[in-house]
Amino acid sequence: MAADATPYFDAAARGVLALQRCEACGAFAFPVRARCARCGSTRLGWRDAAGTGRVFAHGRARRATLPEHEGRLPITLLLVDLDEGVRIPARLAAGERDGIAAGDRVRVGFESAADGTALPVFSRA
Amino acid sequence: MARDGLSGATAICGLGMTELGRVYGRSAADFAAEAVLAACADAGLAKDELDGLLINAGISQGVDLSLAPLLGLRELSLLTQMNAYGSSAGQMVQYAALAVHHGLARHVACVFADAPLVEGQRTGAAYGGARARRPGMGSIVPALGFAGPIPFYAMYAQRHMDVYGTTQDQLGAIALAARAWAAKNPRAQMRDPLTLAQYHASPWVVEPFHVLDCCLVSNGAICVIVTSGERARALAKPPVYLRGVGQAHQLEWHDDRPSLAQRSSATAFAMAGCAAADIAQCQIYDCYTFTVLTTLEDYGFCKRGEGGPFAASGALAPGGALPINTGGGMLSAYYMWGMTPISEAVLQARGEAGERQLPRGGLVAVSGNGGIFNHHATLVVSSEPS
Repeated sequence: MAADATPYFDAAARGVLALQRCEACGAFAFPVRARCARCGSTRLGWRDAAGTGRVFAHGRARRATLPEHEGRLPITLLLVDLDEGVRIPARLAAGERDGIAAGDRVRVGFESAADGTALPVFSRA
Repeated sequence: MARDGLSGATAICGLGMTELGRVYGRSAADFAAEAVLAACADAGLAKDELDGLLINAGISQGVDLSLAPLLGLRELSLLTQMNAYGSSAGQMVQYAALAVHHGLARHVACVFADAPLVEGQRTGAAYGGARARRPGMGSIVPALGFAGPIPFYAMYAQRHMDVYGTTQDQLGAIALAARAWAAKNPRAQMRDPLTLAQYHASPWVVEPFHVLDCCLVSNGAICVIVTSGERARALAKPPVYLRGVGQAHQLEWHDDRPSLAQRSSATAFAMAGCAAADIAQCQIYDCYTFTVLTTLEDYGFCKRGEGGPFAASGALAPGGALPINTGGGMLSAYYMWGMTPISEAVLQARGEAGERQLPRGGLVAVSGNGGIFNHHATLVVSSEPS
């Protein structure tokens, strides 16, 4: 059975980042998956994450790779290590001043893609 | 004295390279067939003496098991298609060596072929597949602005800058060294001299990567043939002995350490009975300038965090203490995934590197890197069996 990401999108609509969590071993997961990478269990539930973490890496995209990015460049792309122990791809929130560095504390928010998909974005905590 | 039964027991006896680069109107399978036949001719083997064929199709996935009937190979003991991206070529050579060493095959052709470039299309289009819209959560990553591997490598490079103070000039030094070597390689696609000012003026892709931090895309094929050291000595070309081999893989996020390159090289160096200090030259998988920097650290040529100053010292360029990518690598010569560094190592070990030839006899370390630091293969080769 394909893993269902509906809980992520429902939570994002509330402004909350939800993560899958293994009911067997407690490991968190992102993106959605059908089986826990740590213990192999298929009993994966959902939890609201704290929404905070630390920047692992960042880079500034200077070329549009989708039409909706035209006019929004540069985009500061992020890899964020959430406090739950999960790394997620994200970007710096629109309007957030540049100059983010590895190790900075950040807090999640959401922006909408052109098709309405909720995208995780981060601001300095 | 070989420290391992495999070390020095097998060798690359044939190398076949097609025209490489912006070569249009030919299929990957056709390139592959030409490379295999060229490798046979180079080794002094009849094609029907091949009893093993390992195939790595590049991004265009234009060659598969049907290469065997295309070549009329009817007596194969080994045949498979393999893919762990940039480390595949090094892996093919390792599996070939193991099979030969244990008597499962005598002459194993390992071929990479790709033809992603289409006349009139941008080079970037060849690797643009990741930009396609995907349903559900899969749409998040492209919608954020990630496309293909470049953003991830760029971010890891930026992290290295944040943590260790690595500079843009130091990444540039790697691009310049590759170009300086490429000037001496008639097969290289980019041979015009490159200055640091030109490097800085190169358009940004994802900071800290300029276009000139990223490898070329090429059409073509390269094949090497692996056989026993004993048989290789009776063939046409000087044997290029496999002294050490290693691999490492992980499909999760690339974390700081211990890296795959560290694990893979440690295995290969132990088999070869050598340390980084014993390596005379390196052929490093340079999909990006940063990949070179981090591989140098992981292989132990400099300390962690010191790859930048090491690169900027001039060590890597012609005349330097640790020549790397002496044909210009993927940054300036040609992009045949893991066969780029392997082909140059073979030419150097045989003494066929022309104007860029370095002293023979030493150990050559060869790296392959696949995915986004997900796969790594290391070879240690030499013109000498022990």
